[in-house]
Amino acid sequence: MISMNKVSKHYGSFQVLADCTTEVHKGEVIVVCGPSGSGKSTLIKCVNGLEPFQSGEIIVNGVSVGDPKTNLSKLRSTVGMVFQNFELFPHMRIIDNLAIAQVKVLGRNPEQAREKGLKLLDRVGLRVQAEKYPGQLSGGQQQRVAIARALSMDPICMLFDEPTSALDPEMINEVLDVMTELAQEGMTMMCVTHEMGFARRVANRVIFMDQGRIVEDDSKEAFFGNPRSERAQQFLAKILHH
Amino acid sequence: MAYNWNWGVFLQPTATGDDSTYLGWMFYGLKMTIGLSLSAWVIALLLGAVVGVLRTVPNRWLAGIATAYVEVFRNIPLLVQLFLWYFVMPELLPEKLGNAFKQTNPIVQQFLSSMVCLALFTSARVAEQVRSGINSLPPGQKNAGLALGFTLPQTYRHVMLPMAVRLIVPPLTSEFLNIFKNSAVCSTIGLLELAAQGRQLVDYTAQPYESFIAVTVAYLLLNVVVMFGMRWVEAHVRVPGYIGGK
Repeated sequence: MISMNKVSKHYGSFQVLADCTTEVHKGEVIVVCGPSGSGKSTLIKCVNGLEPFQSGEIIVNGVSVGDPKTNLSKLRSTVGMVFQNFELFPHMRIIDNLAIAQVKVLGRNPEQAREKGLKLLDRVGLRVQAEKYPGQLSGGQQQRVAIARALSMDPICMLFDEPTSALDPEMINEVLDVMTELAQEGMTMMCVTHEMGFARRVANRVIFMDQGRIVEDDSKEAFFGNPRSERAQQFLAKILHH
Repeated sequence: MAYNWNWGVFLQPTATGDDSTYLGWMFYGLKMTIGLSLSAWVIALLLGAVVGVLRTVPNRWLAGIATAYVEVFRNIPLLVQLFLWYFVMPELLPEKLGNAFKQTNPIVQQFLSSMVCLALFTSARVAEQVRSGINSLPPGQKNAGLALGFTLPQTYRHVMLPMAVRLIVPPLTSEFLNIFKNSAVCSTIGLLELAAQGRQLVDYTAQPYESFIAVTVAYLLLNVVVMFGMRWVEAHVRVPGYIGGK
């Protein structure tokens, strides 16, 4: 589904990503973790071309992301993405947030798009909020809407960029529950997150990054049981401590 | 000081015998000021929006051209720009077009030059505000639009501009007020707008206090109307739950 081969990116002499190679198969859930500044967000944004990269290759569903001839908009419409800060469109009602891209990008008729939007809102438990504006919802609710918005495009896979990092602790679980459900339904997912409980529950593999490199790329059993690198051991010791 | 106040002067027929009262002259000037300012404002908004957007696009050439435009039109004094449009521009046009322009009704010549001058000058300032509005949005908004499969123009149209425009309504109000005040400069090329009519009244009636008080009040009233209009706009585009919303 997603394959990366020796992806590198640098700003001037600063190496953000160095020779990152990995593969995400259909139906797999991959958790990407690592200390801040390790390049995990950059890596995930390269997958749908929001961040350009200088060398290497990323293939998503048979399409090369780095190829200048690729229609990036079309590719992105098939890859759902959820951001740390939700990024709902504040001037649109919740239902319009879910409908607009279906109409403008996929060419669905507004009635259909609305109906699909309501169904997805139902699924994340927010149908009653359909006519409200994003600013009137809590952070957890906004993030669930953001997930529903991404799903409204019928994506072939989903990217999550620290979806719970901007949330109050009590709202984290409502978002993780939606993600867990999604994973159990077989969605292909790539998640940058520090929620190790989530990783333990649903991840197939865990990628650990440090200084732009993929240091570990293991099954979750191997990663949590016996990480090979010292850096990953330190990291786990720190974040599993509390 | 012995000054003879005479507010009745406005109702007297003018000394030129043009079948009008001095009040009529004032209204003519007021209409000219409103017509000139509004038409220039519409052009300035459209042009300013385009140039402001271009300043933020990732294409270096387009952004460079837009920057040059802004710097030219906001760094030359308005009065100099007006003289350039009115006296120099017709000479630079292709001969036929230049002659055609010079043969039109002088009022039309003055009006067109004034309108273009005010519109372009103001558009540079509007462009700066549009740019700052766009730049003040969280960067994730653009990514969110693109990630849904919108093209860059669609992202501007549906995601960034609707919010940016809402954010810049207050500074745009100042610009809108400015264009009415700046239009007074156009009296220097003979356009008979409000300020020019005030001066004419002084010449014909020798009642400078009444004339300029009337002009002052007219400008004030005009701007009060604009202010309330813009306040109404501000309240109507307010986003519930967002900064300034309820």
